[in-house]
Amino acid sequence: MDKNRNKSSESGKRKLNCSDESKCFELLESILDGEETSSSKEILDEKLAKCQPCFEHYHLEKVIREILKNKCTKQMVPAELADSIRQKIQEIK
Amino acid sequence: MSEVQRKKYSDKEKNSIFDHEFMPHIDSMYNFAYRLTFDEDDAKDLVQDTYLKAYRFINSFEKGTNAKAWLFRILKNSFINEYRKKSKQPSKVDYQEVETYYNSDNVDYTMTSDLRVDAVKDMLGDEISNALNSLAVDFRTVIILCDLEGFTYEEMAKILDIPIGTVRSRLHRARNLLKDKLRSYAENMGYDTEEE
Repeated sequence: MDKNRNKSSESGKRKLNCSDESKCFELLESILDGEETSSSKEILDEKLAKCQPCFEHYHLEKVIREILKNKCTKQMVPAELADSIRQKIQEIK
Repeated sequence: MSEVQRKKYSDKEKNSIFDHEFMPHIDSMYNFAYRLTFDEDDAKDLVQDTYLKAYRFINSFEKGTNAKAWLFRILKNSFINEYRKKSKQPSKVDYQEVETYYNSDNVDYTMTSDLRVDAVKDMLGDEISNALNSLAVDFRTVIILCDLEGFTYEEMAKILDIPIGTVRSRLHRARNLLKDKLRSYAENMGYDTEEE
């Protein structure tokens, strides 16, 4: 996954091409979805520090999740729905 | 989801489970139903039917387990079996086509996106909501379950009756489709979405 790690010319600069985008992106998305736990933090830090495509992909995916969670307004539940359900339950009891 | 295991709850236990484990999820259930049907009355009917079914089959629910996932699964199945046909906004993509074409677990993760983080951050709730609502129901569903409701891949696999690998790939495709939508909004907003 990190075959090209040593090829990044200067320290602190991210390599512009990812040698295994498919695997990396899949991993990054799993981490963002909370599915990877073991040592994912270290892997993540390393990828984000060293690989530009991974860095960009991670941040775009992250912001997509954030806006979905924060900006998709919740529909107000009709006030009578809970009562109506309870009433129907009484009827079938 | 432990449907095999039959319990025999007393009426008192049934009411307690219903009130303390089922009813607290009514907000999430209604939101899910609304995003599936796009109609307040249909959403209400769907939630009500789900709760009636949940009560009827309460003996197959194991007290203290994941009630939210159990309820979501019933709601999803009710939607597919009863509401999909009469839904006022039929899904734009044929279900079978989605199933056969998109269910491959081998997803190309390399698709690069020229959508910018800044452009996404500036988007309004309506734009995000509209983009989500425009997705075919199977793609919309995985995003709702994962991003809006916070279910894990494993819970989603059980709710949707599909393997975890399919959850993962469908979710990836769904977000790519969402990004396509957002990209076209970004273009309309005057953001430059071309590569440098």
